[in-house]
Amino acid sequence: MEKSKPETPQDGQQAPRKRRWWPLAKRLSLVLGTVVVLWCLWIDFEIRRDFEALQWALPARLYARPVELYVGAPISQAELGDYLDNLGYRESAQVEGPGEYERSPSRIRLWTRGFDFWDGTEPSLYLNVEFDARKVRALWGDQNTGDLTLVRLEPAEIAQINPTTGEDRVPVRISDVPQELIDAVIAVEDQRFFSHFGVDPIGIGRALVANLRAGSIVQGGSTLTQQLIKNLYLSRQQTLRRKIEEALMALALELHFSKDEILDAYINEVFLGQQGNRAIHGFALASEYYFSRPLSELSLSELATLAGLPRGASYYNPRRYPERATQRRDIVLARMLSQNYITAQQLEAATREPLKVAASAPSRGKAYPAFMELVRNDLARDYDRESLQTEGLRIFTTLDLRVQDLIDSNLEAAVKSVERAAASGTQGQLEAAVVISDAITGEVRGIAGGRQRGYAGFNRALNARRPIGSLVKPAIYLAALESGQYSLASVLADQPITIPLSGSQEWSPKNYDDKVYGDVYLFDALERSMNLATVDLGMQLGIDSVVRMLEKLGYDAEIPLYPSLLLGAIDMSPIEVTQLYQTLASNGFRSPLRAVEAVTTGQGARLERYGIETVQVSDPESMYLLEYALQGVFNRGTAKSVTGRMEDNLPLAGKTGTTNDLRDSWFAGYGDDLVGVVWLGYDDNRDTGLTGATGALRVWSELMSDLNIQPRLTLPPPKIVWQDVSAQAVRQANERDCRATLSLPFMPGRLPDSAISCEDNESFLQDIFDRVRGLGR
Amino acid sequence: MILRISWVLCFSILTGCASYSTGRGILAPVESRDSNTTVEPQQSNNANRVETIQSAPIQRREIPPPQLPPASDPVIVTPAPSVPASASATLLAGVDSAIAEGDLERAAALCERALRINPRDALLWYRLADVRAQQGRPGEAEGFARRALSYSADDAELTGKINTLLSDL
Repeated sequence: MEKSKPETPQDGQQAPRKRRWWPLAKRLSLVLGTVVVLWCLWIDFEIRRDFEALQWALPARLYARPVELYVGAPISQAELGDYLDNLGYRESAQVEGPGEYERSPSRIRLWTRGFDFWDGTEPSLYLNVEFDARKVRALWGDQNTGDLTLVRLEPAEIAQINPTTGEDRVPVRISDVPQELIDAVIAVEDQRFFSHFGVDPIGIGRALVANLRAGSIVQGGSTLTQQLIKNLYLSRQQTLRRKIEEALMALALELHFSKDEILDAYINEVFLGQQGNRAIHGFALASEYYFSRPLSELSLSELATLAGLPRGASYYNPRRYPERATQRRDIVLARMLSQNYITAQQLEAATREPLKVAASAPSRGKAYPAFMELVRNDLARDYDRESLQTEGLRIFTTLDLRVQDLIDSNLEAAVKSVERAAASGTQGQLEAAVVISDAITGEVRGIAGGRQRGYAGFNRALNARRPIGSLVKPAIYLAALESGQYSLASVLADQPITIPLSGSQEWSPKNYDDKVYGDVYLFDALERSMNLATVDLGMQLGIDSVVRMLEKLGYDAEIPLYPSLLLGAIDMSPIEVTQLYQTLASNGFRSPLRAVEAVTTGQGARLERYGIETVQVSDPESMYLLEYALQGVFNRGTAKSVTGRMEDNLPLAGKTGTTNDLRDSWFAGYGDDLVGVVWLGYDDNRDTGLTGATGALRVWSELMSDLNIQPRLTLPPPKIVWQDVSAQAVRQANERDCRATLSLPFMPGRLPDSAISCEDNESFLQDIFDRVRGLGR
Repeated sequence: MILRISWVLCFSILTGCASYSTGRGILAPVESRDSNTTVEPQQSNNANRVETIQSAPIQRREIPPPQLPPASDPVIVTPAPSVPASASATLLAGVDSAIAEGDLERAAALCERALRINPRDALLWYRLADVRAQQGRPGEAEGFARRALSYSADDAELTGKINTLLSDL
């Protein structure tokens, strides 16, 4: 201790001894003094360096696609209400500020908060939305704004990628913090904050007296500055040295930085709660965490509740211990009154207010695990783990909460309803995977990696690669139609066939029902998913043209060149299948599936943007003919069983898929707005007892009709002509029977063969009729 | 200087001693992160949300009667202009101003937003193609232009513009 200088010698007898020790003591204290001075200088240097460069590791935040409101927007009053609840809007009798809304039977009135999107700022607006069943009928603001054409709401935050420290915070500037909160914090934690110099002797004295009187620690003498230091340096040591160091650092901090800077850091740093391994730091995040609303929308009572937390965030946790939290709030309010920050009326009003804490939000980062994995895969191209965990990036995803929440809540029951009691043995249950994407843009709207809601284990939608069975067939038929050699009325042979393989092996495919259908039309073979006719077609075309078509549709892994490819002996994950059907749904324009739309810095500066891309891979006429047959799958073919359930949604296009021994049950289908792929199966490849039609199709139709999938509105390209053919597929003209006919679309270069054409007599008239129709288009 | 430092030191030691305590009471002044036990009960509020979606009345769609096909089978429906142009028009005005400001990526994004509302609007695909062409991304521009063409059959003027754009790429 450098201060304990020896006293002057008092009596002569001891003088010689003293004299002998004196130079040594002097030297020792000099050395000690130097060490201490160096220590102080070091601390001073350290605090300046650290505080100037103070930058918190901020988690990346992920947002769902925001709801857009316009006349005709497909959203119901109930759906908008739910969306607002999810954003933490408060339902009130009269809308008086941002973050509030008011419901009446067919209307919602709200005041939006506004949001800085990556492509521009959406202002805070007062607006009225009127509904018409599942649509927005009208949209208007107040006298100043009048009718509104388009309003984008804030996006829901769906997840975050936390720093390894587990610390989470929403940085806020002191100028954006409500004065009442600052007053409350100062009143209760450090009333002389603006007059002391880092440590507060008066406060310490008061605390000491109070502690002595109580016989235990009831009051702390730490200033906000000291608390900040303690938080910043993450030390849980309570040693004397540590305490001295803290005090020195507090002094140094006050020496170099303003009170506002220190308060700013404190407001953002202080620990205010714990959710799992996520530590809630700073008042702005605490406000969202406890009240689901930003600081600016909190009442005095709520701000006082938060201001009471630094003393013991878990002890006063308003969710777990509402009584303690209320008592603490009242202490804060009383201190505010005694220091003249508030009036007695304000105190009374605030203490009367019941403590209303938001229901605990699902732990972020866990809520949508399957989608999050897709996002991480997409981001991995441009961002490493570290920058996602520390740079506070804002990631705008394509997730549609309406779609995702519906999958999450309905999938389990839908799977259960098709699960065969006999097949559900003891080990493992029937599993499922679902991918739903936007039919136009390729944006992934929702995904499930297993049948259970929020299942975070093996993500089957992305990683379970299983044979796709008949889902491959559209690629074969499209390759045929595109070649110009085939029409929907081409006659295929559904006959037993044996194909020699390498060595002495042979392959003898069969129809699923073991029947043989003989001569059939091409469209019929696809609609009813005939294996033998498909093998006939595929062998005529050549396996390589099927491979090329799969690649064009968007499959980019290796494809085995075996004839069994024709019946889907190729492993794909549900998301890969979705890519193929995405291309079909956008009429032959391939757009890569995307889960991320844009990435910005925490301040909103654009870093990366992933827009729509599209490449035409097939001609509109072939696509139109193919879709005729894929719509026929619902109208006449293997998906006929759900037409009753989906009456409001038809026409739709799709294909069932079943693999050997009923191991996999698939359905892939699309309407005008959405593409959906459902897979059902066991992880150990057991027999499911389900075909595509009895399993996946039923799950698909449950989900898709609840999502109100929109009917296909595919217009025939101008070149398409309609012609009548005999209902019966025959090969010889002398067998032609035009008593029963079908009308089918054809490309002008590939009209029906004479053996089946029933157009002959009227061909001239028909031709004129077609031309007139073509003009009318 | 030395006096000041030693004064500061003296003071800090005193404060250190004054606030020093060996154990941490419940009311420790600052909570640090040793409280992993404070895990909130995991209740989810999703259930409610989705139930309401479910119970929302499903509107019966009125599909305009098929115009063209002679047979009953192929269902081909003329796309009804279900969405008034105003939302698109607002966004297209934004596209123009973004182009004027030189922020072409924002212009592209606004086209995409409009396409989510009106996916079969040939003009929107054309504008997107045009923006990409201006950005020097002819490959992407071509894809969008071809998609525009697939919806522009009934608009000769627009078809002409799209073809011009395609030939200029």
